[in-house]
Amino acid sequence: MEDFLYEVVEITQTIWDGVLFGSTYALIGIGFTLIFGAMGKLNMAYAGAAIAGAYVGLAVSMFFDAPIILVFAVSALVSTLMGYIVYQTCFRFIPTHNHLAALMASVGGLFLIDEVIVLATRGSPMNFPALFEDAYFEIGPFGIRGDLIFVFFIGLVSTVVLLYVLFKTRLGMATRAVAQQDVAAQLCGINIHRTNSITFSIAGLLGGIAGAMTAAAVGVLSPVIILPLTIKGLIVTVIGGLGSIPGAIIAGLFVGGFENLFLYVRGIDERDMYVVALLFIFLVFRPNGLFSKTINRD
Amino acid sequence: MKHLSKLMGASLLLIALSIPQSAIYAAPSLKVLGWGAKSGPLKSFGVNSEAALRSAVAEINSAGGVRMGDGSMAPMEVIGYEDSACKKDEAIAILRKTASTTDAIVGMGTTCSGVCQAMFGVLQKKVEDTSDSGVQMPILADTCIRPGLAKISEWSFRNVPNEITMYDELFKWLRTAYPNVKTFTGGSETDQGHSFITYTAIIVQMAVKHGFEWVGPAVPALGPKVKQGMKELQAAAKSQHWLMGDTNYTVQARKIKKQNADMILVASHPFSACGFMKEMKRQRIKPKLLVGLTSSASQETLNGCMSAAEGIIIPTGFAPITPEAKKANNIVSKAGGFLDLHSSAAWENAYLVKRAVERAAIMGRPDTLQQDRRNFRNALASISSQKGLIGPLTRDGSTGEAEKPYVYVQVVNGKWKVIHDPNS
Amino acid sequence: MDFYLNLINTIGIHTMLGLSAYLLLQTGQLSLAQAGFFAVGSYTAAILTVIFQWNIIPAVLAAMFLAGFLAFLVGFPALRVKGLTLVVATIAFSEFVRMFFYNLKWRVTRNGEEIGPDGTMGFAEIRYFSDNGWSNLEVTFFLWTFVIIVMGIVWWSDNSRSGAVLRAVGEDELAASSVGINLTVIKVSAMTAGGFIAGLSGGLYAHQVTSLDHHSFTVLLGTFAIAYPILGGLSNVFGTLVAVIFIQGLLVEGLRFLGDWRMILFGLLIVLAMNFKPLGLFDKHTIGIIKRVIRV
Repeated sequence: MEDFLYEVVEITQTIWDGVLFGSTYALIGIGFTLIFGAMGKLNMAYAGAAIAGAYVGLAVSMFFDAPIILVFAVSALVSTLMGYIVYQTCFRFIPTHNHLAALMASVGGLFLIDEVIVLATRGSPMNFPALFEDAYFEIGPFGIRGDLIFVFFIGLVSTVVLLYVLFKTRLGMATRAVAQQDVAAQLCGINIHRTNSITFSIAGLLGGIAGAMTAAAVGVLSPVIILPLTIKGLIVTVIGGLGSIPGAIIAGLFVGGFENLFLYVRGIDERDMYVVALLFIFLVFRPNGLFSKTINRD
Repeated sequence: MKHLSKLMGASLLLIALSIPQSAIYAAPSLKVLGWGAKSGPLKSFGVNSEAALRSAVAEINSAGGVRMGDGSMAPMEVIGYEDSACKKDEAIAILRKTASTTDAIVGMGTTCSGVCQAMFGVLQKKVEDTSDSGVQMPILADTCIRPGLAKISEWSFRNVPNEITMYDELFKWLRTAYPNVKTFTGGSETDQGHSFITYTAIIVQMAVKHGFEWVGPAVPALGPKVKQGMKELQAAAKSQHWLMGDTNYTVQARKIKKQNADMILVASHPFSACGFMKEMKRQRIKPKLLVGLTSSASQETLNGCMSAAEGIIIPTGFAPITPEAKKANNIVSKAGGFLDLHSSAAWENAYLVKRAVERAAIMGRPDTLQQDRRNFRNALASISSQKGLIGPLTRDGSTGEAEKPYVYVQVVNGKWKVIHDPNS
Repeated sequence: MDFYLNLINTIGIHTMLGLSAYLLLQTGQLSLAQAGFFAVGSYTAAILTVIFQWNIIPAVLAAMFLAGFLAFLVGFPALRVKGLTLVVATIAFSEFVRMFFYNLKWRVTRNGEEIGPDGTMGFAEIRYFSDNGWSNLEVTFFLWTFVIIVMGIVWWSDNSRSGAVLRAVGEDELAASSVGINLTVIKVSAMTAGGFIAGLSGGLYAHQVTSLDHHSFTVLLGTFAIAYPILGGLSNVFGTLVAVIFIQGLLVEGLRFLGDWRMILFGLLIVLAMNFKPLGLFDKHTIGIIKRVIRV
């Protein structure tokens, strides 16, 4: 009985930690889904730009001894800018129907970002300042990481703001219009390229927040996390449903929780195989994900 | 056709340009070519090794150079330091390029253990085996540290510390220096070959050998038979490990916290080691002793988590504790690199090359190249001892490996400090 | 000479890898699963020559069939989805395969030495060519025989009805199915053919590098596999070859003298190439120019 209770506690704790961490996956998933929903294209450089923003934020804190809030703000802003740049360099000038070339260009962008980071840091991992680092509460047998709650909270706030912008502002309406029918949107006088570049920038902002939150949660930055985050973000996007923001949120938390659970139950060697199997199950039973496109719906 | 031939012409030109132009020079010199990871996450290793190699060669040259087979003194020349990017294909391409298009006597590198393994695998296995069409070029490696690689070929040599000896002696010393430490547990990154095999086959086994008690998940008798211990350990502790790019260490840390061990082993490279140690700090896990992986005894660990790593003890093959080591450290720092257990070997290798060259009577002419390489290999295999930067080391010609002096370092107040020198 | 032969071998293997993605890309499906089939081919062929001491030709052919069969099995469920979902599904498959091999342990003792795949440590000492005294020239001829056969088959496909069918599916699925083309059969066939080719090139790759581990078969390899045909252009087999020469010959080897900046230029040039030639370096426009010049 005691063993059983122990296991229940451990599993609850494991899922809790995983779900909180999953809020970072959710933000990255939202970024991918936003761009996909708006343009039908995949931006492979996305996670790279997110992490690059975190690096610039880190540089600011190293050279100017800035407070942590400023670090996060700088990371988010830099990633916003990078989202804009990625749009202009990898998507703007490539014909809209040509998905492959845009994808490949963004892959090139990913390689570029990765190598610039390595060049700037000589490949060394870097300490990243954390907010509420010492906030660790022990409630009975449970241990609650205060900083993860903060990460989750920021994720929540970002999502609410995003949804407000998308559904309650003209800019958001333009984005949704372009996503639904770009020719008709143009006829209504909406400048597609301007709208898309703003979409990329907003996605970049979310990515920057995700990058900074991830970096703060781990405490160390290194380019080795870019590829795993990209893959996880993509899995979250698909499970959540392409183009669906609520889907990406729920899927992010879901994948975060499950991933941790698999680690606890089956160990590190099988953990990722189970995450992949989870994706396959969704693809077989619900190929459109948890929710289908809502960004295109009124 | 125009466009195609232009493109092909440009490609060929650039490929040709990339070949070191050493054949043009008439001035005799002893040529070596180095390679290591100069891009990608392991870039710092390549940068450090290159700085160490070039600095040592400059020192040798300012003291007169090396004696060639005809009695004259000639400078040693590092004709290039290429980027193998921790990729097997690239290292093999560089090896073949060096062997067939340059007159380098020896190749020096490379960084990653898996890459060394592949690279040594394309060499001719036995010098006398004419039916073996492998590459015939001596390689002297400074960083790839996974046990047992140099014996893959008679042309492959390494100057890396022996992790088995180091951890054996470390735990022996820890037993006496910290008598109140009795139990231990730990974790490692399983997708990095060097970390994981050193953890399961060496570190844990040596701790058990010296009387520390494993309190991780129950494991049937961890015997002296390495393989038995390894498999069971791997199976039992699988939720205590992580991957080298992981971002969430909460499950592993909680598991380890519950075991309440006196000593915790963190066998991981700096990024994930730091990630894990930070989680340990968050969860208020404070073991009496923290022991790490050799490759983390470097500046990168301090860059990543200076305060979370406080107190970690690691055996290493380099610390600026002797006059030679201090001098080399200064020189290499000015050249833009750091000396650590890996790059210090690159420095020592330059001097090792000098000794082998002088023992082998290298003629250094293009027509004597193959004979020179063979003589160099034989001479290198015959060298049984060398003065290393922190003490004398011995070499085994049959395996191509070295036994090096080592010290134990610990992060104290955010800096690496030598806490024990077994040779003093 | 040795170095050039090695480069030519690498180009050959990567060309085959690119062609394995080429056929499916023509049908408009973006699949990053090639790395997985390549891995299966590599390990299978290596296990057969090292542990079972097979001759290399049957080993490589067996690897090809196994990978092709796997592609066939994967094709049915995978090709029910499209677009980004397919991309992610194939990435996930590729990762699954990689993790399978990362866990694979199959050790055999021979002549007092242990050989075979060893989990995360990888699979070393795949020494078929050097153990059997193959000269570098012989290896190159051997490898390129396969490359030329594969290129020939794909060229034939491009210039025959099957190529037209593939491209029809790629252009407009609705129109294609309305003229009686069975979409599923075509897509699964393209995927299976791709699996065969990837498995074959993987088997050859294992013996060229003599050592395998899971780090070689990441999503990055799958990205390169689709990069070659996309960069080279989907209308011509030679486009893929040119793209491989461009990337492996020019960018990876030729630019070594740039030192640190080589890998940065790599990403930059890909971005530029796609912006200036979105249909690939060897698109219809370029081929038109070439044809005109040849005629002149």
